[in-house]
Amino acid sequence: MPEWFTKLTRDFNTAFVVDNRWKYLLEGVENTLILTFFALILGVALGIIIAAIRVTYDKQYHLMKRGISKFLLCIGNIIAKVYLTIIRGTPAMVQILIIFFIIMASSSNKMLCGIIAFGINSGAYVAEIIRGGIMSIDEGQTEAGRSLGFNYVQTMIFIILPQTFKSILPALANEFIVLLKETAIAGYVGVTDLTRGANIIRGITYQSFWPLLAIAAVYLVMVMFFTWLVGILERRLRKNER
Amino acid sequence: MNANSLIATNNLCKYYNGGTIKALDGVTAGIKKGEVVVIIGPSGSGKSTYLRSLNLLEVPTSGEIVFEGVEITDPKVNINLHRQKMGMVFQQFNLFPHMNVLKNLTIAPIKLLKMDKAEANEKAMALLERVGLADRSEAYPAQLSGGQKQRVAIVRALMMSPDVMLFDEPTSALDPEMVGEVLDVMKELAKMGMTMIVVTHEMGFAREVADRVIFMSDGKIVEEGSPDEIFTNPQDPRTKQFLHSIL
Repeated sequence: MPEWFTKLTRDFNTAFVVDNRWKYLLEGVENTLILTFFALILGVALGIIIAAIRVTYDKQYHLMKRGISKFLLCIGNIIAKVYLTIIRGTPAMVQILIIFFIIMASSSNKMLCGIIAFGINSGAYVAEIIRGGIMSIDEGQTEAGRSLGFNYVQTMIFIILPQTFKSILPALANEFIVLLKETAIAGYVGVTDLTRGANIIRGITYQSFWPLLAIAAVYLVMVMFFTWLVGILERRLRKNER
Repeated sequence: MNANSLIATNNLCKYYNGGTIKALDGVTAGIKKGEVVVIIGPSGSGKSTYLRSLNLLEVPTSGEIVFEGVEITDPKVNINLHRQKMGMVFQQFNLFPHMNVLKNLTIAPIKLLKMDKAEANEKAMALLERVGLADRSEAYPAQLSGGQKQRVAIVRALMMSPDVMLFDEPTSALDPEMVGEVLDVMKELAKMGMTMIVVTHEMGFAREVADRVIFMSDGKIVEEGSPDEIFTNPQDPRTKQFLHSIL
């Protein structure tokens, strides 16, 4: 048996088997998935709200009569624009540090802080994806809906949004994958995610080779799995059309 | 404005760019119940704008529209209720691509008129039968030819049992061999007494079906009259020139 091979197996043993150190990675995967999942839900919810305000402003503002709802829409649009500008204009890492050490400094629930930080970050990108999707639907679809007697909201719900969802699915899936990988920086503020799990093992064993390769493989497998799932969903959505 | 009009417009104007472009420049007209009115005119004459403002897809800058005795240009009016009574057919069909034909036809009556689903399906199938598309009820719009799409679009508007049908160049996006099948459906509709306002370049259709032809140019009604009067004995030089250039 060559010496390098013996060393590799011995290191593998130290990195994962001794003291059940593989459990750091297992816990890390679990936390990474929890963090990504809830941040995604928060992000999509925020994204829908922000996109709804922006699109309604663009499409309806000039048609609205003067009044309280027109005023609120104007305020909402300003808030949405400021939110988009700040979140897209600053690094995610900086946003997370600000949320942890300034805005939610008194909270001891690191996971919750992480979910909020990543959710707010992701919401900005999801909002623009949804808005782009809605804007890409032909104006004739809106006109057809309105000419039948549907109001603006009904036209959105029955006609525009179902078509939007289909066309933005690839972009949304991409955002989800970016989010999953981006949670790797959560370890810097103490969330024991997958990357942090590897760093803990590195700290104990003074070796990097196996822990880092292992988490790279785990991220890769997770991303490939979700890409595959989205592919199935996309095919199912398109199946009927042609 | 005529008191027994189904739709009447009074001095309707639509300006763009703060008044430098006048798409509609004071259009006053009335359409009686059961009348088939064909609007012709060169491109940019405002005929499509006029048609589209009748159900407020274009919001006029000034002037008023009275539909079934209600001034629908009044901001307090709920236009959605009145649009249910005005069927519209577009040049680009605008069928909903994510729904099959049956769903395209039934969604509005089910959601807006609270029609029972079975009843809506039955009505849709009966109308599809009449336009010769009963066997395509499960198809999606992308699987249909242009002529089939437009016939479905006409049926979609008819599903709401409208009092008037607005046609915005319904055959302009069709391959020539499919124009006939759509015009046939429209002729049948006219025969049944439907009030129709049709913007079209199909002069044969105008001659055969129209009760009245309106010639528009530069956002104004230049001349109107029976098809015979307009086509065989036009008075205005612009009408003459237009008819000369297309016939």
